Amino acid sequence: MDLNIRKRELVKEFSPMMVRSSVTLKLWIGLLVAIIALGLVAFVIQVLNGHEATGMRDNVVWGIYIINFIFFVCLSYSGAFIAGILHFFNTPWKNSVLRIVEIITVLSIIVGPIFILLCIGRLDRLHYLFIYPRIQSPITWDIIAIMTDLIGCFIYLYLTFIPDFAILRDNSEDIPNWRKKLYKWLAIGYKDTPSQREKLHKITRTMSAMIIAMAIIAYSVLAWIFSLTVQPGWNSSIFAPYFIVAGLYSGVGVIIIAMFLIRKYLKLDHYIRKIHFVGAGVILLVISLLFGYFTFSEYFSRWFSHKVHDINLLNTLFNRYFWLFIIANYVGVLVPIAILFFKKFRTINSITFAAVIAVLGLWLNRYLIVVPTLETPYLPIQDTRPEFIQYSATWIEWSLSFAGIAAFILFFILIMRLVPIIPMSGIIDIEREQQRKTRIFSKKRK
Amino acid sequence: MKITNSRYSVLILLVGLFINTNSIAQENDVSNYRMLFNFNTTKQHDNSRLLEVSFIARNKKDRKDKIPVYDAEIKFFNILNEDEVLLGASKTSQEGIARITLPENQQYLTDDDGYINFKAYFEGSDAMDEEEDEISVKNLFLELNLEEIDSVKTVTVEAFVLDSLGVKTAVEEADIIISVGGMLSNMNIEEGTIEAGEFEYEFPIGIPGDVNGDLTVNAIIEDHDEFGNVIQKKSVNWGVFDREFVEESNKLWSEVAPIWMYVVLTILLVGVWSNYIYTIRNLFKIKKEGKKLDLETEN
Repeated sequence: MDLNIRKRELVKEFSPMMVRSSVTLKLWIGLLVAIIALGLVAFVIQVLNGHEATGMRDNVVWGIYIINFIFFVCLSYSGAFIAGILHFFNTPWKNSVLRIVEIITVLSIIVGPIFILLCIGRLDRLHYLFIYPRIQSPITWDIIAIMTDLIGCFIYLYLTFIPDFAILRDNSEDIPNWRKKLYKWLAIGYKDTPSQREKLHKITRTMSAMIIAMAIIAYSVLAWIFSLTVQPGWNSSIFAPYFIVAGLYSGVGVIIIAMFLIRKYLKLDHYIRKIHFVGAGVILLVISLLFGYFTFSEYFSRWFSHKVHDINLLNTLFNRYFWLFIIANYVGVLVPIAILFFKKFRTINSITFAAVIAVLGLWLNRYLIVVPTLETPYLPIQDTRPEFIQYSATWIEWSLSFAGIAAFILFFILIMRLVPIIPMSGIIDIEREQQRKTRIFSKKRK
Repeated sequence: MKITNSRYSVLILLVGLFINTNSIAQENDVSNYRMLFNFNTTKQHDNSRLLEVSFIARNKKDRKDKIPVYDAEIKFFNILNEDEVLLGASKTSQEGIARITLPENQQYLTDDDGYINFKAYFEGSDAMDEEEDEISVKNLFLELNLEEIDSVKTVTVEAFVLDSLGVKTAVEEADIIISVGGMLSNMNIEEGTIEAGEFEYEFPIGIPGDVNGDLTVNAIIEDHDEFGNVIQKKSVNWGVFDREFVEESNKLWSEVAPIWMYVVLTILLVGVWSNYIYTIRNLFKIKKEGKKLDLETEN
């Protein structure tokens, strides 16, 4: 079939998903906007009253904001890592999941750093970080890493979008003028000529390799923010690889959840098939085993070392945070393993369920890394009011956290309104390759 | 069948992991514990005498479960036949230790063989039975001499007891430990035997002392059947002081980061940003080619 006709067919197939708005979608968008609005109200209250409005105090200076920050940033790094791997090694089923991964990567790196800003007591002094940076500080490394990664992810995402913008520019009918102009501007004159295709392929491939390396470095820097301190529970030489594995664990989990929702609500059953879920499920199984191994090593060495402060921390974890510890490190690891280990259980629903458990478990794991350590400081706690000793998040923090998640989902929906979630250019590439192989095969037969 | 078994295995594993060992109520009933009431005495370097009781409750089933008995009043007596002289009383600390120190000039009742009999007594409470322990020791004197004999640093220990007339009787045989004091604990440098009341030892060269080269030499008799614990010590300028300890300052508290850090960061950033520029340059090339194609189509 002529590829230009095929392109037109694909645009016809995907256009309704981008243009039509169902009542359910409108309700979802309304709900998400309401959650974001509530978050903005909470933000104003926090700015007016300072951190007193939150559960953070002198000792527990980091709460769920930093946990959300780590969670989202790790999600982005893992997304970049997975997208890079899928693209660089030209994985056979990459086309169905690649765009989901890429969008998650970019949105997480946008939403994540907002949470770190919420942790800062004196936002008016934020620019000091740039005016007086200390190169020897992991915080400075992290700022550099996040900004570099953000730009890299944007460029990479844009590179993968260009061929689809060009297809939409050339084949869209009955779309508003602004959309036409936008597609034309974003497609930067891409005509899918062999020369343009080769150039784009080359730079996309280089960028995919680069973002894998960048993700590993940025992950490590994020882990070093904790592990280069001498705090019990943080000062660990395996924190960087542990963060990488944990990030991949949450990343694959969120990708599976996104695949499930997109497949269900956009009715893309023939593009996102069971094989994709099983593949992702097996990867989740391998990572869950690794994550479990790292978690065990981490706590086992602390328990075995018998250092006073480590033991104090473990006592806190096994008493005050007992159930959270069980849910995060037992349920969050063993349930996905139990589900994914047996072939019979590997259905789309159960794999998604395992992914949800993994993501929730991992968020709690982050909570247990941050809060209990800050509740067991080296120096005795000066202020003995309960809220100074023990942290509990206020409604302000929860509102802003949910606002972050809502913003993530809302932006995801908006991006899906701009380009199809299944890359059309990927489908065309596959069909072009098939045609080429057929031509070679028929020539040989002659 | 296999799958059913596997399912049950997973279920049992999960249920097992959910059991909180901390949530099982501890049986803290006194009847579950055996009382360990240990009494000992140490004659110290200034000839004062330390009487010490260790009072610990140990779980009968779990021998690792030990709880010190706190705030129990222990009375210390010097006894001879029916006579009991109260020497003092002390309450046990949080570690379960009660101790008193008797001065050098303390007068003791001694039996015909020269033994001083001590008794430590806890009169009991509503929950706990009375406890007591006795020990008998002879009043041993240790004389520690640190001298250079023919340029050889020599440790000489003389051990004797005094009878009622003040006549010295040399100790026939007793094990002795020579140690030097350290920052955290004593370091044993020789273990030997006092014979005919004397022990001589050539002090090794190169033992670290303090800043001035001073060190403390201890002569210790431990858990002796006749004498209990006896300690004697003296300071002497026999130690060596090699170098001054230089405290390492935290390098990253400096105003400027180490050069290597700048180099690594620069290499990484230059590498990444060069690639970004290269990518953007190629995008412009793609755009240029597109424009060219547009113009050709228009013409």
